[in-house]
Amino acid sequence: MYQYNEQDQTLINARVEQYRDQTRRFLAGEIPDEEFRGLRLMNGLYIQRQAPMLRIAVPYGLMNSVQVRKLADITRKYDKNYAHFTTRTNVQLNWPKLEEVPDILAELAEVQMHAIQTSGNCLRNTTTDHFAGIIPDEIEDPRPWCEIIRQWTTLHPEFAYLPRKFKIAVTGGPEDRAASQVHDIGLHMVKNAAGEVGFEVLVGGGLGRTPVIGKLIREFLPKRDLLTYLEAILRVYNLNGRRDNKYKARIKILVNALGIEEFSKRVEAEWEIIRSTELALTDDYIAKIQGYFEPHPYAADAVDGLSVLENQLDDNAEFRAWYERNTREHKIAGYRAVVISLKPHLKPPGDITDVQLDAVADLADTFNFGEIRSTHDQNLVFAHVAAGDLYTLWQSLRDLNLARANVGTLTDMIVCPGYDFCSLANAHTLGVAEQINEKFDDLDYLYDIGDIKLNMSGCINACAHHHVAHIGILGVDKGGEDYYQITLGGSSREDASLGKIIGKSVPQADVADTVEKILQVYVESRLEDERFIETVRRIGVAPFKERVYATVN
Amino acid sequence: MPLLINRAVVDDSWLLVDEDNLTAHINEDIVVPYELFAQHLEQLVNAEGKLGVRINGDQALELLLQHLDALSLVAIEFPAFTDGRGFSFARMLRRAGFAGQIRAEGDVTRDRLDHMQRCGFDAFAIPDERYSDAILSAFDEVPVHYQGSADDERPIFRQ
Repeated sequence: MYQYNEQDQTLINARVEQYRDQTRRFLAGEIPDEEFRGLRLMNGLYIQRQAPMLRIAVPYGLMNSVQVRKLADITRKYDKNYAHFTTRTNVQLNWPKLEEVPDILAELAEVQMHAIQTSGNCLRNTTTDHFAGIIPDEIEDPRPWCEIIRQWTTLHPEFAYLPRKFKIAVTGGPEDRAASQVHDIGLHMVKNAAGEVGFEVLVGGGLGRTPVIGKLIREFLPKRDLLTYLEAILRVYNLNGRRDNKYKARIKILVNALGIEEFSKRVEAEWEIIRSTELALTDDYIAKIQGYFEPHPYAADAVDGLSVLENQLDDNAEFRAWYERNTREHKIAGYRAVVISLKPHLKPPGDITDVQLDAVADLADTFNFGEIRSTHDQNLVFAHVAAGDLYTLWQSLRDLNLARANVGTLTDMIVCPGYDFCSLANAHTLGVAEQINEKFDDLDYLYDIGDIKLNMSGCINACAHHHVAHIGILGVDKGGEDYYQITLGGSSREDASLGKIIGKSVPQADVADTVEKILQVYVESRLEDERFIETVRRIGVAPFKERVYATVN
Repeated sequence: MPLLINRAVVDDSWLLVDEDNLTAHINEDIVVPYELFAQHLEQLVNAEGKLGVRINGDQALELLLQHLDALSLVAIEFPAFTDGRGFSFARMLRRAGFAGQIRAEGDVTRDRLDHMQRCGFDAFAIPDERYSDAILSAFDEVPVHYQGSADDERPIFRQ
């Protein structure tokens, strides 16, 4: 993974001291509340319902064991012994003290971490596929490009006060595990007719109150032009995005208002001016950054573990279930990628304790070249585990309550913290997640339902991406009571689509029962091997609606 | 309102005029609001004194870019500290070769000065109540830049 050089470290250290001074001046009354709000948000600090919340950046979801141990340590020293992973692959602390945040940032800087631009109306953390670099059909590893984008976005002097937040996702091949089509900019690595690798560029996707699928703005962007083209898009947006209404300020609204042709014309005009400037990438720089993402030293004899693994799978049904649900193919024979489920029974999705963090760091050192990835659906990934190590790793994870074999199933939900923590939320989410967990605890039932994506947001800001879930749940406030609106048929993958609302929202107590009725319709209607999303697409939402709102006699 | 140029407070030698007193001062060193500039374009670019224009993000930078040779100062207004359009304006003026003064006006306070300078601003009109001598340390708090800027166009990989 990328390692800071002296310049990177100098920048991060200086930023900590800059923020320390901003905090000091705020506490001394020298910076008005509203202005400090802008400054603290750009450093990841929110003021929440019960306490501040600090969002720490995990650039493109990649960490090493030293960083994870530091996170564990910070949750012990400054917080309540746990942290929470988010859909931007970042990590949040729910109970830091405002005065102590500069000290937390200083500790993070020691391990090359920071909270820069994890909130605020600026360029946010770039995300990517959590299986980057290990997928057989990947065109190219997207992570070096994420790092190049990270450097360009970090403390960009022109784009620190955008109309609204701005998010970029990069994928390395035809599969999309980064929800790239609902990002302000989605970049897909593609090969053109001449066999050159570059980027397909989408613009103007987004969720929130007006969900939009991104539109194609450029079929092929040569690699060296990546930053000039991004800068052209950002400049057009910075100058033209609406600033009078925060709900209409995202780039998706601008692209829709101008139309993609006119927007694209403006971007191209700006790009022509800057395309050949110093911002054009150099081969040396690209090669240097790519050098940080060389394959790990895989063991040539890892394939020998496959026969041992076969026996272990035959002997232990529980292990087999975990293997089937929570591990994925790796392009190197004898290795697997392991998804560590942060969706244990009756615990808030995405949460992890200090003890678990420390243990995960140790396990990563033993089994995964010291690497840990966070995923946009709030799990962790060990991307390179030798076949012969899987059983031992599984036992350790099981003892840590991190081996629930539910990845990709109904209980692998994306859930925002909701009303319990977030001051924006209209409704609770964690209790409803528990209700769903209690209802659908039977693994055999979950496996029968198969691949399904359920996401739940506590308000229209859609932090949990409910619009692009197969089953989306949105909490709304109805006269002081929590109600939940259900959408069906969304997808954040390469076949991205927005879910359709099935009808009026349901009371809190009925959410799990409603999900059950929806699943009944699926089970009754599915064709052989048909996944939930495919059935919904084939039969439409009407049969589901009928069942959910049928009058009880 | 202290005016900061080259990290020192200086006297403002420019006169801001409006519709009423434009004719009286037309041959002096004046700053005119964008609307007046657009209205009296011919007259202003041919006047004897130095000319400055005050512009904000709602107005068309294009018009200024067409007459850069006639301008010695562009004052860019920040109606709120959250309005980032002025950063792009400054950048576009500098890249078009404008060598005159680019002045930040409006909601201009310490924690944006460094970004402003990097985008090409060289003068900062700071509200009295937000000014203190300590403000001078706002520049170069972060000494490493990944991006190129108006005074050094090279991004980190060409530095």
